[in-house]
Amino acid sequence: MHNFLEKLPALVDEIKSLKEIIITNIVLIGQTPAPTFREKKRSKLFMDRLAEFQVDEVTTDGYRNPIGIVRGSDSSKPPIFVLAHLDTFFEKDQPINYIIKENTITGPGLLDNSLGVGVITSLPAIFKRLDLQFESDIVLAGTIQSIGKGNLRGVRHLLKTWPTPIRGGICIEGVELGRLNYSSDGMIRGEIHCSVSGDRSNLDEYTPNAIIVLNEVMNEIMNLKTSQRPRSRIVIGKIRGGANHGKIAFEAALGFEIRSDSYKIVKKIFRHIKDIVEGISHENEVDLNLKTISNLRASRLKYNHPLVKNSAAVLETLGIKPFSKSTESAQSIFLSQKIPAVTLGITHGENVYKDKATMEIEPMYKGIAQVIGVLMAIDSGVCDEQ
Amino acid sequence: MNNNWLAKNTFHYSDFKDLNRLVEEKKKKNLKISLCLPTLNEEKTIAKEIIILKSELMTRYSLLDEIVVVDSGSTDKTRQIARAYGADVHKATEIFPHLEPYKGKGENLWKALYITKGDIIIYLDADIKNIHHRFAYGLLGPLLLYDHIKFAKAFYDRPISVGKNKMRPTGGGRVTELVIRPLFSLFFPDLTQLIQPLSGEYAGFRDVFERIPFPIGYGVETSMNIDIYQKWGLDVMAQVDLDRRIHRNQDTKALGRMAFVILKTFINRKIRLGLIDLKEELFDEMIQYNLVNDEYQADIFKIEGHERPPIIEIPEYREKFKIDRTQIQKRREA
Repeated sequence: MHNFLEKLPALVDEIKSLKEIIITNIVLIGQTPAPTFREKKRSKLFMDRLAEFQVDEVTTDGYRNPIGIVRGSDSSKPPIFVLAHLDTFFEKDQPINYIIKENTITGPGLLDNSLGVGVITSLPAIFKRLDLQFESDIVLAGTIQSIGKGNLRGVRHLLKTWPTPIRGGICIEGVELGRLNYSSDGMIRGEIHCSVSGDRSNLDEYTPNAIIVLNEVMNEIMNLKTSQRPRSRIVIGKIRGGANHGKIAFEAALGFEIRSDSYKIVKKIFRHIKDIVEGISHENEVDLNLKTISNLRASRLKYNHPLVKNSAAVLETLGIKPFSKSTESAQSIFLSQKIPAVTLGITHGENVYKDKATMEIEPMYKGIAQVIGVLMAIDSGVCDEQ
Repeated sequence: MNNNWLAKNTFHYSDFKDLNRLVEEKKKKNLKISLCLPTLNEEKTIAKEIIILKSELMTRYSLLDEIVVVDSGSTDKTRQIARAYGADVHKATEIFPHLEPYKGKGENLWKALYITKGDIIIYLDADIKNIHHRFAYGLLGPLLLYDHIKFAKAFYDRPISVGKNKMRPTGGGRVTELVIRPLFSLFFPDLTQLIQPLSGEYAGFRDVFERIPFPIGYGVETSMNIDIYQKWGLDVMAQVDLDRRIHRNQDTKALGRMAFVILKTFINRKIRLGLIDLKEELFDEMIQYNLVNDEYQADIFKIEGHERPPIIEIPEYREKFKIDRTQIQKRREA
């Protein structure tokens, strides 16, 4: 491992020499729309690009997650997974145009997560340029149905149905370089929908307003006590409703997220919200429905886990200062299945969830070198020790 | 009218997606290929074009030998960005500095012939938002795989609905359908088979481009079609469906000025070919009106319509490419 660490900084320039290929992959992937549940075009492109780079096997799993396998030299070693989610929060299913300037690339969905997917499709060319051979098979996956209502279904299926043990995993996200995530909060995302019947006989001043009802729900939720230990919090993240400035709103919806170190606390808060919803529904004689959109159990690697320690060493060798925060990415699915995994960010960027999401190009080469470094660490056995 | 041409010489880019085969043909025929991007303030699109074409057709498949940018004097960062991504960048005014400089796409294309090395030159507009390497290999395909084809022109899907869930590509844009196609129908019916005669993307052999004149501005595509057709016939030409191209929208007045230049180029060609005799000079001003504070005000655009001669007639060019006058004579006879 240490030998390889010494060589890591020199790899950055080698990786940079493939900049046209890497940027092309990012742009071609990013310009192919992939809203959650409609990832087919991007999935095909992902496989086409891997096939063009002569990956040993390109296929889909039973859930249609596209994957490419770079065969390793030792068939007795379990595979290592490198994955990024294919879908983007950007809903429009229409052509997207990225803009490349001297030091930046800009475009919707770039940082979450076209950049990550583009980097994965470039890895076969990078392995070849660096003359890298791994003992394990490297499984390059673009998982579908991750975001929002997707609820990480793609990665859940991929890992659950994989026929062999898995040695370790690296989840790639566009930003932020230095991110070294090894824990996931417990989380429930829910939606409360309020519906007022339009054919009530008393369509007068007594007709409840769906927005006002949801406001009442919000106030009650904000009165809930969240604990400091285990850490927990509630975020009201989305609201929509009504049709017209001068009309009573018959429909309204509220999106929220509960997060905590402890999944028990998450469930407890969710039960409280359920009580609030039932109470207000009864008092106002309206339909209030509470729905779970997605959920995750809390899971974590210890800081002294060899994968975490070695990953931090890789980052530091490259002059990247590691920082950690909890994530609700695919990593949590790895960890919940007792597969050691970390999440890494590739570069610096801004406007992550806006049309003008922008990444810096230059730091990306270090970001890719860190992925190679962590892959080498897993291949050398750091996940096998525990 | 030679109406077999459309069926025989129309291709789809996917006919040429076996890039290894194109590379083999290029090697076998010992050809060099240059890509030229004429620019004027294209900082938003130029990098993407260079990177994608370099990645796919230079680094991964050695089809292109050089990417050359000829710039009309951009005031944004076009030249700086193009250089940063490895293109060979030239200011148009610095090529043949002793000639009177003109500003226009045709000028850049013409001058590019002097600074490029290729036996085949691909010209792509630099404002293609959805650039993909098919734009270049699609045009190269017919030139590399069919010995009789010397010039290939792009056309694109401009889909219209033809029933539920059915779309099909149709003809060109407004200027094509309202100006060019009627003119071709009247005077050169064979050329009506070009689906989009004004498309800005084409490729051809140097010995075709060096022997035709280049109008400076918008007229370059029209004159190129007519000149190649007149000199070598329709069979040396091909057209390739490159799928979709996302265009920069132009307003009707801009299209009007475009139509003016094209009409002028067309009429001048007819005069030169002795096909019509005009009793008086054409005017060189396009006059358009705007309503400002309840008054009509004229916008007058002077469009002189300069034209560069076949570049083979320029001594520096002949010297650089080692062409002597006897060769030119022989080529003429051939």
